[in-house]
Parts: sequence; structure tokens; C-alpha cells
Amino acid sequence: MSNIAVTSSQPSPKWDSKQVIPLLLLVALIALPAVQFFGNHNYVIHVVLFAFLYITMSSSWNIIGGYGGFISIGHNVFFGIGAFFSGFIFARYGISPFYTALLAGLVATVFGFAVGLITLRVRGPSFIISSIALLMIFRIVFDRWELVGAAHGITLPHNSLPVEWSKVPHYYALLILMVAAIFLSWSVRHSKFGLALRAISHDEIKSEVTGINVRMIKVTAFALSAFFIGAAGAIWADYLTYVRPNIFFIILIAANMVLMCILGGKGTVTGPIIGTIVMIFFNEFILAQFGASELNIFLTGLLLIITLLYFPEGIVGSLKQRNLLPRFLDWG
Amino acid sequence: MMQVLQVVILGLALGFVYALMVSGLTLIFGVMRIVNLAHPILIITGAFVSYWLFILIGLDPILSVPLAAIVVAFLGIVLYKLVFEKDAAKQTYSEMTVLLTFGMAMVIDGILAFFFHNTQRITSPSYATDAIFIGEIFIPTAQLYSGLVSVTIITALALFLKYSNFGVAIRATSQNRTSAELVGVNVKLVCLVSFAIGCGLAGSAGALVSFVFSFFPSRHWEWIAIMMSLVVLGGMGSITGAVIGALILSVVSSLVSAYYSPAWSTMVFFLALFVVLLFRPQGLFGVRVD
Repeated sequence: MSNIAVTSSQPSPKWDSKQVIPLLLLVALIALPAVQFFGNHNYVIHVVLFAFLYITMSSSWNIIGGYGGFISIGHNVFFGIGAFFSGFIFARYGISPFYTALLAGLVATVFGFAVGLITLRVRGPSFIISSIALLMIFRIVFDRWELVGAAHGITLPHNSLPVEWSKVPHYYALLILMVAAIFLSWSVRHSKFGLALRAISHDEIKSEVTGINVRMIKVTAFALSAFFIGAAGAIWADYLTYVRPNIFFIILIAANMVLMCILGGKGTVTGPIIGTIVMIFFNEFILAQFGASELNIFLTGLLLIITLLYFPEGIVGSLKQRNLLPRFLDWG
Repeated sequence: MMQVLQVVILGLALGFVYALMVSGLTLIFGVMRIVNLAHPILIITGAFVSYWLFILIGLDPILSVPLAAIVVAFLGIVLYKLVFEKDAAKQTYSEMTVLLTFGMAMVIDGILAFFFHNTQRITSPSYATDAIFIGEIFIPTAQLYSGLVSVTIITALALFLKYSNFGVAIRATSQNRTSAELVGVNVKLVCLVSFAIGCGLAGSAGALVSFVFSFFPSRHWEWIAIMMSLVVLGGMGSITGAVIGALILSVVSSLVSAYYSPAWSTMVFFLALFVVLLFRPQGLFGVRVD
């Protein structure tokens, strides 16, 4: 009798598109490397893991840039820090970046916290310019620092897997990082911390008056946004098999993070994901059609201008305003 | 002692070129509150105009200063009409304009790199490799001439702003847009003209840069931070401040280059930028950027 009462009071699980579609996508992504059983599809694997990398980074950037409203165009310093940290340990002690990636993320976070304490004192254009200055300082330091190979950087050994499987470890590592970064972004969006952060982005002084610890919150957000970027940098170093300042400390990487996030819709959880997917398809299309990276820079800039002028809310934000956003993309 | 003087003089000569490079940037910020990250690539555009005039018809880069200025000013008007026109009435500063000019910089960089590729170029008029000796001190003629031309242009700009009616209107707008509008200043026109003048200054600086530094399209990323450091130290929006900031940092970086290591000389600019922004955002003479 009581047993029946208990079972009937259990809510029957309601599966709707909001959970089913993302889960199906995740399962599909987990299964995707199986295509390697049917020949060498390294290009597909490469494009998808490249998307993972940038979704991780733009979702992380979204925490400080989207929710917090602090636009950093030098956020790839954390990418570089993670890459150099794990790359250096791999080259010196032979410990693979797969083991040290989270540690690299932690180093980036601690560093982000320290930098945030200094740079987040200013906002608006001052903050943007100081983020560029930070990137330039890092570029110069790493270009001259003999211990980490100066301008030549560090060369890492290849993994010993057969060619069609050699990308798979990076694929899964970045998949995990991506899911975790999206989860972090989602939790921040739906937490009291995220609410405070969004209050700060609207009006810092009023937020302070309502009792929000403005400084701590924005610095913590900055540090959080560094974590997965640093960890992704470590995996990316192993993937490229070399770490060089002129690859990791270039402003174009940060520009891409910013653009992907703004294009998709900054301040939304799914915005950076959509923005990244659109941008990567767009980039691959341009490369395949015209094969020139100069055109890529041109079109990236053009897209940034058009988005800012005509769809400042981005794809997800604009659709949401018009109530056209599919439910499975509406994560807040 | 003589050697220090030598380094300082070389630093000052370059400093005036830097001052011209940033005068347009600070003018545009003063009037419109736009941090124009596309300014360095406009300078490189001017340098390309000069370069091709020199290669194709052998025109001396100093003589092509006005032409480069006109071409880039015209480009500036087009950009202004396309991108900034609709927000020109607002004085409120937003991060959006920084990202917009960032996008503009990428667009122009992409176009230039597509047509001319990222190979190092430099215009080489006959005086480019010469030097003049005053006692024991030598000054390369390229830097001397470019410094003198820069001083002339900056002086002309200062006189224009100080004494002409339009100059007064520009200064009024940058001090207080609403009041300027109230006393009958056509603020929209002032914005358009100052943007054009600012870009023209970038073009003229480009003509000089073409024989002082080697240039290639993507070099402007490095210049963004360097030029920002000069205007931020002097104070955004102040032309005097920009000149002083440029002279100070140019001399300091020359000293670092001579007595420590040339590799670290650009670090002076970036560190100065970082420190000034964080501890005295209004710079020496200007207003806070935020």
C-alpha cells in the first residue's frame, strides 16, 4: 500500500527538447571519433575539436566579457600561460600536458586573480586598452625569455598513436573541457554570483551601494574565466606539438573569442556556442574557397562591425527578443 | 655625457614623429570620445600611398605628405559615414566604439595584406641613409627631416585649433558638446571634419613613417599599444599632452635601447601604458578615458 503511494508520487520524468537535444548532441559528439574506423577523417576531427577549443574559450570569456561587461581583447594571455606551463613541464620532465592541463588552468586562474586585482580597477575603454597592453607585455617577455625558448618557443614530442587516432585524445580532452566550461558558464548565469556580476555590468556604483562586494566579484569572475582557457591552452600545446609566442600571444585569438561571443550573443549561455559554430563554418568555408588568411582577417573584422551595428544582441539575443529562439537553445 | 646627449637627440627626433602619429588619435578622442584603434592601420595606409607614389613616379615622400593626408582623410570620411554617423550625436562613450574601430582595423589590415602581403617595405629616398654631423653628434637625415616636418604640421594644427573659427568650434565641442551645440556650433559637421582631420594627420604621419620605419600591414597591432601609451601618458584628448607624452617615452625608450638592450625598448611603452592606465587614467593633462 505504502509502496504504491511512494512510486505514484514520483514525478514521471518529463523529457522535452530542452534536455533531449543537447544530450543527443553530446552522445553524437562522444561517438564521432568512431568515423576513424571507416578511413581517415582527420579533417572532420580537426574541425570539431577546433570548435571545442573555441567554444571553451568564448564561453569562458563570456563570464567576464558577457555577464560582467569587461571587454578584454588580451584574454589569450591565459591561453599562452597554460600552453607554456604545460609545454615546459612536458619538455623538461616528460609529464604529458593531459596530466597537467588542470594545473595549467589553475596557474592561469591564480595569475588571472592577481592581474584582475590590478586591471579591474578601471572599466570601459581604459580596461580594453590595458588588456591589449598586458598581451603586448607578455608577447615581449616570452619572445625574450631564454628559459622557455624565447621566440622559438618549445617543441614537444608527437604522441606515438597511429595517424588516424593521434588526434583522438585531444578530441576527448577538449570535449570534456568544453562541457565543463559550458557548465561553469551556466552555473554562473543562474547563481547569485552571476546576478551580482550582471548588476555590476549595468552600474558598478549602485551595485556597491546594494551591498555587493564589487571588487571581489569581478576579480573572481576574471579568474574563473581564465581557468578553462589556460587548461585548453595546455591541450592545444600538445596538439600543435610546439608552443611559440607568435602563435599563442597574438591578438587575433582574443579577437576571435570576442567576436564569437558577441556574434552568438554575449551574456547568454548558448550564445558563445552558436557564435563559435557559425564562425568556424564561415572560416572553413573562406579557407576552402579562397585559401587566404588575409581575407579571413578582413571578413572577421567586417562581421564584427556588422554585428555590432545591426545585431548588438547577437544571434541568440536577437532571436530571443523576437521570441524565435528554439527552446533547446534557451538556457538563460 | 656626449653619448647621452646623442641618444636623447635621436629620441627627440623620433619623438616628434611619434607625436604626429598620435595627434590625430587624440584629436578624434577629444571631439568624439572614440578610441580609434584603426588609427595605426590608417598610418600604414598613408605609408603605402607614399611608397607607391615613390616607386611609380619617384615622388619624394616628404612631398607626398599632403597627398597621403588627403587620401587617408577621404578614407576617414567614408568610414565615418558608414560606421559612426548614426552614433555621432551621442557623447556617451561606449565600449562599442572601441570594438568597432578594432573591427575596422582588421578590415583595413586584411585588405592591405591581401593586396601587398606582409613583406617589410621602406621608402628609400636619397637622404634616407645619410646623416648630418653637428660637432660630435650625428643625426640621420631621415629622422631630422621627418622630425622637422612633424613639428611643422603639429604647429599648423595647434595654430588652426587656437585661432581659426572652426578650430574654436572643435575645441568647444571637445570641452562640452551640449553647450557648444547651444551656442550654435554645428556639432555633426565638427565631428565629421575632426574625424577627417584626424585621419589626414594619420596619412601625413604615414608618409613620414614610410622612410623612417619599415612597415607592413600587420605591424599596426604592435603600434596600437605603442601609440595608446603615448596618448594615455599625455592624457587622452590633449594635443599638448600627446606631444609631451611622445617626447618623454621616445627618449626613455631610446635610452633603454642604448644602455640596456634594444630588444626591451618597446617594453617601455607597454609598461607605461599599463601603469598610467591603472594608476593615473587621466594621464598628465587629460580627462579620464572612462
